[in-house]
Amino acid sequence: MRLGGQLPQSTPDQAVMLAAVRFGRALREHGLSASVDAEHTFIRALAEIDVRERIQMYWAGHASFVHAPDEQPIFDAIFERFWEGRPLILMEGGSEHGESDARMQGSHHGGEALPQFGGEANTKAPLDGENSRGDRDIPTAEGEDGTSNQERGVLAAWSSEEILSQRENLQYQSDELLALRLLAQEIKRQAPARRSRRAHSSPAGHRFDLRATVRSSLETDGEAFRLGFSAPTLRPRRLLFLCDVSGSMERYSRVLLASLKAAVGAARRAEAFVFATRLTRLTKSLDGRDLEQALEKARAAVPDWSGGTRIGAAFADFNSTYGRRGFARGAIVLVVSDGWDRGDPKILEEEVRRLQLQSRRLVWINPRPMSVDQQPLAIGMRAAMPYIDDFVPGHDPRAVAGLAKLIGGLASDRPARKIVPTTPLEY
Amino acid sequence: MPGFSSISDLAAALGRERYLIDEGLATVVYLATRLGKPLLVEGEPGVGKTELAKALASATGVPLIRLQCYEGIDVHQALYDWDYPRQLLQLRAGGNTPLYSEEFLLRRPLLEALAQPNAVLLIDELDRADDEFEAFLLEFLSDFQVTIPEVGVVRAQQPPIVIITSNRTRDLHEALKRRCLYHWIDHPDLQREVAIARARLPHVGQTLVDQICSFVQDLRWLDLYRSPGVGETLDWVQAFHELGQHQLDPSVASATLGTLLKERDDLDRIRAGDLDAAVARSMQRAQEFRQRNFYQ
Repeated sequence: MRLGGQLPQSTPDQAVMLAAVRFGRALREHGLSASVDAEHTFIRALAEIDVRERIQMYWAGHASFVHAPDEQPIFDAIFERFWEGRPLILMEGGSEHGESDARMQGSHHGGEALPQFGGEANTKAPLDGENSRGDRDIPTAEGEDGTSNQERGVLAAWSSEEILSQRENLQYQSDELLALRLLAQEIKRQAPARRSRRAHSSPAGHRFDLRATVRSSLETDGEAFRLGFSAPTLRPRRLLFLCDVSGSMERYSRVLLASLKAAVGAARRAEAFVFATRLTRLTKSLDGRDLEQALEKARAAVPDWSGGTRIGAAFADFNSTYGRRGFARGAIVLVVSDGWDRGDPKILEEEVRRLQLQSRRLVWINPRPMSVDQQPLAIGMRAAMPYIDDFVPGHDPRAVAGLAKLIGGLASDRPARKIVPTTPLEY
Repeated sequence: MPGFSSISDLAAALGRERYLIDEGLATVVYLATRLGKPLLVEGEPGVGKTELAKALASATGVPLIRLQCYEGIDVHQALYDWDYPRQLLQLRAGGNTPLYSEEFLLRRPLLEALAQPNAVLLIDELDRADDEFEAFLLEFLSDFQVTIPEVGVVRAQQPPIVIITSNRTRDLHEALKRRCLYHWIDHPDLQREVAIARARLPHVGQTLVDQICSFVQDLRWLDLYRSPGVGETLDWVQAFHELGQHQLDPSVASATLGTLLKERDDLDRIRAGDLDAAVARSMQRAQEFRQRNFYQ
């Protein structure tokens, strides 16, 4: 059996290689990170399997190109087309019209009569964009729109074209937004840290370091004159943002995330999620483009944008997926929401409780604690309140500045956490 | 080392080790052995990620070398370390063996895997280690050689088969994923789960296995905080067997449910629901399943 990294004895023929490269390119076009390495792996894999077997081809491609379960739908769709020899690249011009061309090309190529090894270079059909079937049956490489939005950047948050819902009659003062920027600066200056299990040699440390001692005793003919010590290293603590983006909260969250991008991007230990009724993860650490896409997705998921948030359901979503995978463990969780919850307050209470149990600290930033709509707001907020370690009124610059200090200071010691009441709340 | 001549050969060999592999995973494992690439396996806890490596090692008759990752793991725990107490003794005794020579070298799992002529190297729960360790591993996995400054370069004559598992508590680095073949293991369907339980617990009656697997399959459709994995199904079957049960039974099910579900809320929810009806449904489904299989 061959285990090593030798090249396969039989190199696949030209047509197969071309097809594989084209396949990889198509996956890239649709947002998968199909690298040249992956293409190379796929080509080598093809030499080992029976390329006439669909299932073997599928899994060879899957193992080479897919790196996360959520990439699978895109892969499946492209593979389907690949296997059937339909055109793979679905730019604006992608169309089914090239189909017959691809098949004819296929048989011209050396030896392989299978359609998936056919060429599709000539298949860029005339533009018929919107009614092309291809555009609909493939999940698009998200965010063709994102690019244009991205150019507008944070300013989009200020756009007057946005349709204001009834919840948006409250304006954010420049004070509040300034406070957010200060928060970002402060986090950047003094990133929250935690002690890691890794140790580094340090004379001030308290752990005896045998390794350093032996090393240093070499210089003194085997007498251990100097004892070595080690101390734990510090690493950035994970910050987890759960941002409400329904109605008026969208602007606030958007500015917050945009200002935080620079602050937490460097540390690579931040995760952000936005929610309205459902939860969306901002994948590549607060990237501007992702932010726009995520807001777009969140918007699409909400039938009634101004109808309020189901915070409880969104948190349940988080707890049962990412939470279970340990995203909130040891993290400082910052919830940004006005607490306007249209769901069952019991659910909200339960889920906030779970969230607090998982986190190192649960902080809730509410930019509108004294809203005109006192009543509905009070219920959601009241349900969550017992479990919130730090409640920060977001409209108060001093409170936000205080939060920055708190987060920075959470490295080693932390103020007492909220103690959960024993008597159940009444709604 | 006995090799696998084909995908079905591999599936059969693992089957003899009582690891029932589906065609997708079999293809990927086969490719990993043929291409000499590490295989990154992800999946819910309890779907048999670690078992895969164990079965692969015993099917090929080579040692399994396991590196369990945890926070703060570094080169000295993963690759090599020096035997400091012995070094100190040697220093004090004034012996003349060089301190930093093979004699005082402690081989940790990665070095051990290089030294073995053939091995299956299991790097378990890589997501628990930190970024720095991942970067180090990347280097190791690309050349299968390491440099120990005092000793020299250690190179594998025959690179091991590498299985990496992750529970996705954090996303692994793209560069590492690029080096690997990737596979996501899902919960098995009823047919496969019954087959697995039968293979693992041959002393337990068919009826009980059918019924319990049907029940667990139903549970996975519910939106539980923590869906039971195959490992837990096996535990539960075992629990029933130990209690002398030959059939699924609501009261025994309720009493032993903690073997299957590990979240209080999930337990409360299932116990508060109509357990009698759920059990009856599972028994019905198991019977249908058995009949269908009988006629096939």
